Amino acid sequence: MGEVILTMKGIDKSFPGVHALDHVDLEVRKGEVHALMGENGAGKSTLMKVLTGIYSKDEGTITYEGREIEFTNPREAQDAGIVIVHQELNMMGHLTVAQNIFIGREPMKGGLIDDGKMNEEARKLFGMLNIEIDPTEKMSRLTVGKQQMCEIAKAISHDAKVIVFDEPSAALTEAEIEELFKIIRDLRAKEMGIVYISHRMDEIKVITDRVTVMRDGGYVGTLVTAESTKDDIINMMVGRVIYEDPKTQSTVKPGAPVVLKVEHLNAGKMVQDVSFELHKGEILGFSGLMGAGRTETARALFGADPKESGEIYVNGEKVEIKTPMDAVKCGIGYLSEDRKRFGIVTAKTVAENTTMACLEEYMKGIFIDSRRENEVAQKYVDDLKTKTPGVDQLVVNLSGGNQQKVVIAKWLAKNCDILIFDEPTRGIDVGAKSEIYHLMNELVAEGKSIIMISSEMTEILRMSDRIVVMCEGKKTGEIDIAEATQENIMHAATLRK
Amino acid sequence: MDKIKNNALVKKIGFNRLVLCCVLLLMYIVFAILSPTFLSYNRILSALNYSYFLGFLAIGVTFVIATGGIDFSIGPVMFAAALISGHLLTKSGVPLPVCLLVSVLVGVIYGVINGYLVAYCGLPSFITSMASMQMAKGAGSVFTKTQTISWPQAAEASGWYRNLVKFRTAGGVQIPTGLIILVIAMIIFSMILTKTKAGRYILCLGSNKEAVRLSGVNVKKWEMLAFVICGMCAGIAAIFFVGAYTTIQPGLGDTFNNEAIASCVMGGTSMSGGLASIGGSFIGVMIISLLQEGILAMGIQKDWQYVITGVIVLVAVTADIRSRRRKN
Repeated sequence: MGEVILTMKGIDKSFPGVHALDHVDLEVRKGEVHALMGENGAGKSTLMKVLTGIYSKDEGTITYEGREIEFTNPREAQDAGIVIVHQELNMMGHLTVAQNIFIGREPMKGGLIDDGKMNEEARKLFGMLNIEIDPTEKMSRLTVGKQQMCEIAKAISHDAKVIVFDEPSAALTEAEIEELFKIIRDLRAKEMGIVYISHRMDEIKVITDRVTVMRDGGYVGTLVTAESTKDDIINMMVGRVIYEDPKTQSTVKPGAPVVLKVEHLNAGKMVQDVSFELHKGEILGFSGLMGAGRTETARALFGADPKESGEIYVNGEKVEIKTPMDAVKCGIGYLSEDRKRFGIVTAKTVAENTTMACLEEYMKGIFIDSRRENEVAQKYVDDLKTKTPGVDQLVVNLSGGNQQKVVIAKWLAKNCDILIFDEPTRGIDVGAKSEIYHLMNELVAEGKSIIMISSEMTEILRMSDRIVVMCEGKKTGEIDIAEATQENIMHAATLRK
Repeated sequence: MDKIKNNALVKKIGFNRLVLCCVLLLMYIVFAILSPTFLSYNRILSALNYSYFLGFLAIGVTFVIATGGIDFSIGPVMFAAALISGHLLTKSGVPLPVCLLVSVLVGVIYGVINGYLVAYCGLPSFITSMASMQMAKGAGSVFTKTQTISWPQAAEASGWYRNLVKFRTAGGVQIPTGLIILVIAMIIFSMILTKTKAGRYILCLGSNKEAVRLSGVNVKKWEMLAFVICGMCAGIAAIFFVGAYTTIQPGLGDTFNNEAIASCVMGGTSMSGGLASIGGSFIGVMIISLLQEGILAMGIQKDWQYVITGVIVLVAVTADIRSRRRKN
């Protein structure tokens, strides 16, 4: 490790309703791979967005190469030598590899783009990285792994001194990850500072030199990877607070009937032959790494995406679910992981969102009975303790946790007995989190049944009665809460069948 | 300024719409000063004549824009409806009530085609309505063999439909019946948009279609309905067009698309969907109608109307976007 190239100190950032970063520190040295770890919503991506000028910070200082800097857009950061290799690749599929790499700064000859020189430059870059990609190939024809290599090549072509990898391995195969690590080691040898964001503990041990851990938007600490164990890092990530209350035993009544049975569900690569049962009053946790196919399973079950085959039984009766309409008729409600896109209509009011799925029950002739509509909305605002100035408030003005409650209200108003919670606490404050947990426990106590998809191990262990584990589109484990540990869940989640 | 904006009554009507009303009033005053004949009752009636068919076009297209879509076919569809039903009336001797129904039906058919292609086949409404605009232009011409159609005058047999636009009493007083009908229609359609299930879902799916679909709502049905309402309104507009002007030339009608859409946008209907106001569209229609009459009265070249309409739309949209950005 060389001298310090980048220091972020006391970085603070708030969004309406969320304190996203609470005085976070980060230090990167030349020739170091520095892991940035934390659960979903810990603030890693936000911190990187502050670094590269996508967000402006409220407080704190950023020192880069000895000077205090503040970028106002990613372009400035890029020009200074700080680049991000994003998790979602920002590539234009119909352009060639070289065109993608040199977009916006194409070499020119006589007012026209010099394609020959561009391809030559790209070839040189790939040579430097020891990777074989044809610069004239269309981007869309490359595998995700190769596309990522192109992103890296693009980053280096900017004369980068600090490269941030945002969960680079999420979509890669084992072999591709190996190749990625080789490149990262090369870059480290060239005295670059590398920030590596990942959830995968094993990778952290293999590739990184130091680890900075964040939790709930706050800075927890920095460790030297070689001197710390996996458990040290995990403990820092999850903290003690949430560990207080893991479920030790299933709370489902013995002999509770099966309300939902899914058999041999298939939907593309991400859902392969998935079968499971859900009992009345049960919280069935779905665990797995990112891209394990849990959301895809839920969406296929709910009719949001088409399924290829598989049978679904609700209360013992076989049902055909082809669209969300069918699912809702069967009493199934789905709370999406992406609330803003799939869960709520942000530009409409709390009341309008509450009755979205059951409007026909609040009609007087052909007109909407707005008095009764407001009453039911107010009832759920009170029941769920949703913080809103009124039911006529636009949902966009509520905080994440309260928006989530509005989605829950929508399905409760429809009187759904089977609820699929997909990442129910993503992007939600710690306080609101425990309220959502409390609510879920109340719901199952009332006899409702819940499928809970969660990427947070603590959440899975705290809430579930039984846990289904998935990996790469297949069900790889089913564990009763009494026997569940982080280790055996993790084991199943990495079991490649 | 803020004090005015936060006034309860102002909030209920909408600040932008109040501004628009002031613009309307101001225009009237300016035209009255510039052209002494402008204050005459006949001038007002003439301006209103323009507002009836444009009003129905704007009401209809407000529903489509509310879904986040667009319909460029309404003007030519209106002409096609008037040509086809007029041809049946004057050349084939079909009774007038049937012809009026045919006119509405032609509009509905276009609405069904547009709506089906957009909602069920997933085509972009921009492309769909461009294509059906061409089809409507052609269909009207083909049906009438490119002849101009003149609907009967008020005094002729089957001329009573003109009373829908303007009623002349025995004493010679002219009553703008069209305005009464338009206002009633506006109230009805406004209630459909704000108080019924159809309107609620149309507005919601304009904001976030996927979220509405995942709530178990039949979004395709409601999206298609918006286009059907739009087509139907174009068919009704045809009746008011011939009621005012009697003569229809084949192959025209597309300028009215732009004026109807401009009226909606001025009235605060958001082109990205989810936010719509029939009342706002109505004021927009009045502004455009007054504008074209004023330009006529002042004896200026008609094309200035397009220039000014364009400028007004740009100002209205810019003001709308700015106020929304400030809110966020």
